[in-house]
Amino acid sequence: MQQSLAQLVAQAHQEAQVIKTRAEMEAFKARIVGPNGSLTALMKNMATLSKEERPVMGKLINEAKKSIEDLLATLLLKIEDAEISATLGTPLDPTLPAIDSPAGQHHPLSQTRERILATFRKLGFTVAEGPEIETEWHCFDALNTPADHPARDMQDTLYLPQSFQSADAPRRGQEALVLRTHTSSVQIRTLLNRKPPLRIVAPGRCFRRDAVDATHSANFHQVEGLWIDHNVTLADLRGVLDFFVKETFGPEAEIRLRPSFFPFTEPSFEMDLRSPNLGRLSNRWLEIMGCGLVDPAVLKNCGLNPEEYSGLAFGLGLERIAMLLHGIDDIRHFYQNDLRFLRQFA
Amino acid sequence: MKVSFQALQRHVDLTGITPERLAEVLPMLGLEVESIHSFGLAPLPLVVVGEILEFSKHPQADRLSVCKVDVGDGQPRQIVCGAKNFKTGDRVPVALPGTIMPGGFEIKVSKLREVESMGMMCSAEELGLGKGEDGLLILTAPKPAIGTPLNQIYGAPDSVLEISVTPNRGDCLGLRGVAREIAAALNLTLKPLSINTPAGFVAQPSASDAFRYVQLNSEFCPYYTARSLRKIKVGPSPEWMRRDLEAAGLRPINNVVDITNWVMLELGQPLHAFDAKQVQEGIIVRGAKAGETLTLLDGKKLELEAGSCVIADAHRPLVLAGVMGGVDSGVTSATTDIILESAWFRPGEVRRVARRAGVATDSSHRFARDVDPAGVELASRLATDLLVSYAGAEVVGSAVATGKPPRAEVKIQLPLGFVAHKTGTSVTDVEVAKCLERLGFSTEKSSSGMTVLVPSFRSDVTRPIDCVEEFIRIYGTDRVPVGRPIAPLPGEEDTRSSLFTREISSRLVGVGFTECCHYTLREAGEIERTLGKSALPQLALENPLTADQTHLRASLIPGLTGALALNLSVHADPAGLFEVGVVFRPQSDGTVREFLSVAFATLASSVVRTWKSREAWDVLKAKRMLLDVAALANLSASRLTFAAHADGLWQKDQASALVDRGRSAQGACGILDLRWTRSLGIKGTVIAGEFMLPRSAFAEAVRIPRFAAFSSFPPATRDVAVIVPQKTSAAEVLSRVQQSAQKAAAKEFELEAVHCFDVFSGPGLPEGNKSLAFEIRWRHSTRTLTDEEANRAMGVVIAALEKGAGWTIRR
Repeated sequence: MQQSLAQLVAQAHQEAQVIKTRAEMEAFKARIVGPNGSLTALMKNMATLSKEERPVMGKLINEAKKSIEDLLATLLLKIEDAEISATLGTPLDPTLPAIDSPAGQHHPLSQTRERILATFRKLGFTVAEGPEIETEWHCFDALNTPADHPARDMQDTLYLPQSFQSADAPRRGQEALVLRTHTSSVQIRTLLNRKPPLRIVAPGRCFRRDAVDATHSANFHQVEGLWIDHNVTLADLRGVLDFFVKETFGPEAEIRLRPSFFPFTEPSFEMDLRSPNLGRLSNRWLEIMGCGLVDPAVLKNCGLNPEEYSGLAFGLGLERIAMLLHGIDDIRHFYQNDLRFLRQFA
Repeated sequence: MKVSFQALQRHVDLTGITPERLAEVLPMLGLEVESIHSFGLAPLPLVVVGEILEFSKHPQADRLSVCKVDVGDGQPRQIVCGAKNFKTGDRVPVALPGTIMPGGFEIKVSKLREVESMGMMCSAEELGLGKGEDGLLILTAPKPAIGTPLNQIYGAPDSVLEISVTPNRGDCLGLRGVAREIAAALNLTLKPLSINTPAGFVAQPSASDAFRYVQLNSEFCPYYTARSLRKIKVGPSPEWMRRDLEAAGLRPINNVVDITNWVMLELGQPLHAFDAKQVQEGIIVRGAKAGETLTLLDGKKLELEAGSCVIADAHRPLVLAGVMGGVDSGVTSATTDIILESAWFRPGEVRRVARRAGVATDSSHRFARDVDPAGVELASRLATDLLVSYAGAEVVGSAVATGKPPRAEVKIQLPLGFVAHKTGTSVTDVEVAKCLERLGFSTEKSSSGMTVLVPSFRSDVTRPIDCVEEFIRIYGTDRVPVGRPIAPLPGEEDTRSSLFTREISSRLVGVGFTECCHYTLREAGEIERTLGKSALPQLALENPLTADQTHLRASLIPGLTGALALNLSVHADPAGLFEVGVVFRPQSDGTVREFLSVAFATLASSVVRTWKSREAWDVLKAKRMLLDVAALANLSASRLTFAAHADGLWQKDQASALVDRGRSAQGACGILDLRWTRSLGIKGTVIAGEFMLPRSAFAEAVRIPRFAAFSSFPPATRDVAVIVPQKTSAAEVLSRVQQSAQKAAAKEFELEAVHCFDVFSGPGLPEGNKSLAFEIRWRHSTRTLTDEEANRAMGVVIAALEKGAGWTIRR
């Protein structure tokens, strides 16, 4: 009996090797441990054994039973593996090219804008906005540039017909509507709606009646900055701009404030930048933005007392900064949207 | 303005200072230097005066001459020459072999068509003396000696600095003003002006004057002076004056005109000279009458605008005040007597009149920038000196002044420590006073600070803050300390629209779209395609610059479609493109509203040949994106309606227009008009979407979401399929299912979801019908729903659906 038990186990292991399907496995299982199975039959024979033989044989039968169960479990795993592989098909070749679905990207002007806004955010400047169509009052008069001021000649303006009514910039009187020539108009909208202290940056699209060439565009983008509080000084202006330039162009970048003229700031400056990291424009002064202390007349126009409040303002050209940062030589690239250009700024 | 370095030295001693140094100093004063160029003859030691002794035709070239030229070295030399404007005996500049010409070209002994040439005879242009007459520069009156180096005749070259003067600095539109700035910056002394003609005016002309009266009848001219000069001999002005004018970019005309121009360049005060014989009776400064005309010196005939300021005589307008003289009263070669005008006109009016007339002159440019009223007299006297010296003029009587200078010195009270306070520096008021005094201001300590007296040439300095700018220009902006960074202000946040722009852009980039940026100004055809012909006048600009940028954009889709076409044409795989920007839409109330638009466009299937293609795009995927955009903008999907068609840019029956009832957002998605996209060269269909939000959509504050408890019991789920006519919209059926399922739950339990899981039409269904199948899920918050409850609810839904006209439940 002991011999036939060993034989049974050995034979089962041998037979198991050729079993491929669940059905074969079930039949095999029945042949051994089913009601009429060979192992079952041996176990039934136990009753015929003597009292002395029984424990010895019982132990052996249990070992054989365990061995068969392990065999069946292994067999099941093997069959399941084969079934899963069959479902999934041919094995993967991980070296095949990925699906050709290139990542999208942000426009270089947006990237530059976000970079600039993030820098000013560190200094507590949050984003404000205004309409692209403005009244002449918001765009010029309130900014201390009355109609007969020669500064209005500085910018050739695109006008809308007298019949045009803007839902976002209602006229105050008979004034004309214009496509805003600068984002400085957002200074006015902000000052009229909010109380100091305030620190804003206003990114936005601006328009001039300029012929398009490598450095001029019928529309372009500016980021305007305004800080109004008690005792804002020229030193604050230098501090803010110095921080901006070093964050944007690296710690070696330097600035200088060159006296200039804008009707809405006094004193007014052009901020020049010099940096060793600007390719062929390295190490020379480059005009970057206009800035200054907010002219008291502007504060007064917005109902603020210039004795109580002072402020600083600046306005930079997004295209100009992006061109310097990336070494782009023609402003028209930004508006052509050739992916061979856009994809360089991923 | 062109500033001659040599001419500047009349006003300030620049010994030891180079033009290049000035080009560093001036910008830091606010006078931007655009360029420096050399003016006059560069050092050319080997260019000498030669005399043409004889010449003959070149044996082999019709256009060349072979000349014998004496250059004073005792050996007449043979020079081949291509010019035609000379004769025997003419003295001309000769560049001897070894000369490097201003263009960098070296003169050598050479053969021209087999004939030896020992040098080159030069034209003005070849010598860098500007565009002279064609041909050789013939040296005349007085004839220079043969062999004289040309540099001895022309003197040292000058440097001319092209300065751009900001509109507030009218005082720097004269050499003396620029010199004053330089003197202040470098702490030099401005040289005094020396003028012989006595100061002072009389109120009325004398009997011998060329005019009987001066009447001021226009508010635009508060101050007018005139003087008579006679026995003038009109002729060329002296060489030095012509040089100065040319250095400044003006063309010499005759001594009288040149003197008025030269004084203007010197002092910034424009002058005008009338031919006295053309002035009838007297001078009247008045507003033009309707219908009057004036022919200007440049030949332009003007219909004068009623009221615009003119200088007239008893009968007619003679001059457009401050802008340009008329041709009738101008100085000609026959003029002997003149009236010299020096006056002050209101800047705004001069600017307006000049713009309206389309005439910009050196005079109008200066008057528009507020010339110094004190310069009126000075300029008149200086010009009189010169007319006496260089035009033989005889002064008649005294100068006549009418009206009075419109402004004089200005007194500013500068509070104690004001400048230090505004600049954030620790400068003392004594330092401030020193800087201001260098600019010609005077200062005086007062009880509350300092009194600053600003001379009349500085019309732009009237307030304490203006003194801060003046101080800092001289003190130097580099000495201002760099302020410390500052802490953020609590409660301040970016506008919601800017946060939205940032977030939606990132999401679109995340799903493979590339951001574009197109011009706002578009051509009329695009607007017509987008909104129809009626929108054209509503979105047109008043003064467009070019024919392709005449209208405001009404949609971002045309730009994106253009970019798709462009990139396909250059074989760049366009995948998906998007743009976020402002578009303009006419509203029913007649206004035009700005919308923040988010738009995307992509080809339905990729154009790239690849072993495994990317997922194709269809309209309902575009709809999904639109809904996501709406959700990000906080617009609830339940208020959005998708209409069965969209027009304009969109393909018939294959696109949907989207309307938001709540906040007037709008949009569309679908296939773009195939005929249009094909005409752009795009093969295949373009799937696109656009969502436009008015600014008001971002007005509400964002609420922080609150947690709500949810049920831990299982839901009851039931399916229902309903057969409806093909033309019935899915939204109608869905809404019926939702309403009835809601009603069925009554207030006892909750309808959790209804979703469409099958849409079918074809075999097994009646012709012209479709079947829509929905899964409905109900749930109770505190217990498990029983089968009976769910079945009862389902009965309500089925009953409701069966009421639909032509609707049947599919069993």
